[in-house]
Amino acid sequence: MSNQTESLFVALSDSVVGMDEDLTRQLSIQAVDQGIDALSAIEHGLVEGMNRAGKLFETEEYFIPELLLCSDAMYAGLEILRPHLKHEENEVRRKVVIGVVEGDTHDIGKNLVKIMLEASGFEIVDLGRDIPPQRFVDEAIEVQASVIALSTLMTTTMDGMADVIQLLQKANLRDRFKVIVGGGPISQSFADRIGADGYASGAPAAVKLVKHLVGEAAR
Amino acid sequence: MSRDRLTPIERFAAYSRGEALDRLPCVPIVGNTAARVLGVKVSEFRGNGRLIADAQIAAYRRFGYDVIRIFTDLYTQAEAMGARVHYPEDETAYLAEPAISAAEQIASLRPANPCKDGNLPHHLEAMERAFQAVGKEVPVTGALTGPFTTASFLIGTENLARLTLKNPAAVHQLCEAAYQGALLYAGAILDTGCTPSLTDAMCSTTVISPKQFKEFGQPYLKRLVEFIHRRGRSVTLHICGKTAPIWDAMADTGADCLSIDNAADLQAAKSKVGQRVRLMGNVPPSEVMLQGTVAGVRESVRRCVRKAHDNPKGFIVASGCSLPVETPFSNIDAMLDAVREIGWPVDGDALERELPS
Repeated sequence: MSNQTESLFVALSDSVVGMDEDLTRQLSIQAVDQGIDALSAIEHGLVEGMNRAGKLFETEEYFIPELLLCSDAMYAGLEILRPHLKHEENEVRRKVVIGVVEGDTHDIGKNLVKIMLEASGFEIVDLGRDIPPQRFVDEAIEVQASVIALSTLMTTTMDGMADVIQLLQKANLRDRFKVIVGGGPISQSFADRIGADGYASGAPAAVKLVKHLVGEAAR
Repeated sequence: MSRDRLTPIERFAAYSRGEALDRLPCVPIVGNTAARVLGVKVSEFRGNGRLIADAQIAAYRRFGYDVIRIFTDLYTQAEAMGARVHYPEDETAYLAEPAISAAEQIASLRPANPCKDGNLPHHLEAMERAFQAVGKEVPVTGALTGPFTTASFLIGTENLARLTLKNPAAVHQLCEAAYQGALLYAGAILDTGCTPSLTDAMCSTTVISPKQFKEFGQPYLKRLVEFIHRRGRSVTLHICGKTAPIWDAMADTGADCLSIDNAADLQAAKSKVGQRVRLMGNVPPSEVMLQGTVAGVRESVRRCVRKAHDNPKGFIVASGCSLPVETPFSNIDAMLDAVREIGWPVDGDALERELPS
């Protein structure tokens, strides 16, 4: 890797951490113009920056507003770099179906998990919020997902998480997907009780959990 | 209620004077669970102040706790300013759509008229009825959502989060509009005889930084607390989630009591701000109160009491946040019973021996 390329990666990473959407876009265009490998620019630049932001979030130097602006910068860069990925690089990413369960519209936690998983290379199918249990199952089958990620902030909707698992069992599909749960009222003991594969207390923990469950990197 | 020697009002008064009590004050924060006591659906509370009052009074009589809080959800004020709220048939309401979607629309927002807009008049009716019925024996409070949290419901949480960094002036404009609405509502709550009880969920450091709380949350809360103090009442401030880095700033609002979520540690709160404010908390509402056993509730109560019973400004045993609707009655009873069992004076050494840190 040339020094010039390396310093561009550092600049990309810094512009994500610095929440600078415009600069990230400019640097991404520069990378394309210089013929730099798009996958490397994403991984060593944008994703590296988002991972640094995630660490700052974990250590409570960054909070939700900062993390959102970092992700805006990352997505701005991805929009430019992704069309330049080689075909096979784009196709083999593992998929995670994610959403907020029916009866709840709090989606910031879900969105943070989505951002950090995306930064880790997973392909995310975001169903949004207020999602009936059956839709998680249908979508996971449809897109051949590896993981179903369920989020809620409200105790009234926790049963919907158990419903997803029961629907999978009834359809003899439980082994095909890893199911993870998270959100304010959720705990490891709740996850164990409903038979989920895992619980994460926050977005960075969710990334570790998913990587652990699928047993390999996203690509 | 022959179970306890003192009424809640007598208990608080004696506690403040440093006199002997029968037990520590105890507040399982009952919101829509009150519907279960009367056997009605949560959605029946909508637009029905009499029913909210009847249910809250029945719940208070059923469990014998120390504060009635007229509360169904946090959206009441935002709804009265244009946010759309969805009411499931038998569960707590949730936000369907914010009132506006962009900073340019903030100027179009008007503070709600408490006598007219949304469900505010019905909540005020509930407060008035409850206060008239039992206000002489138990403090009756009316839930008042903090301006920053209402702002998040008015423009959408992610929108607001981004604006705190990109356009702070717009956030202040929005918080000011929410504040003006809250101020009118606080005045109307006080007119019913009740005391406003402040909740500012989005101010948590789970969401924003301590710096942002000091800029966008605290100033508006401080003005509300000052207003309520001028009317001769003391104020409780609840912020959900993590709050340790902002305890000082929360106390700086002038609030008399801080309600601490179970995501934060009572002992640490006591060391940090116990000389300045009363504390309440923090039995986990979901893991212990909703899903736990009677024995688990007892243990959790004893843990809280061990940590905070000697708080210089006093301590109220409470749930860390509002209780989930389906919290078993047996667990709410267990919470009160555990406090009665500990009794008065609290034997801190015994609790210390029983539950090693």
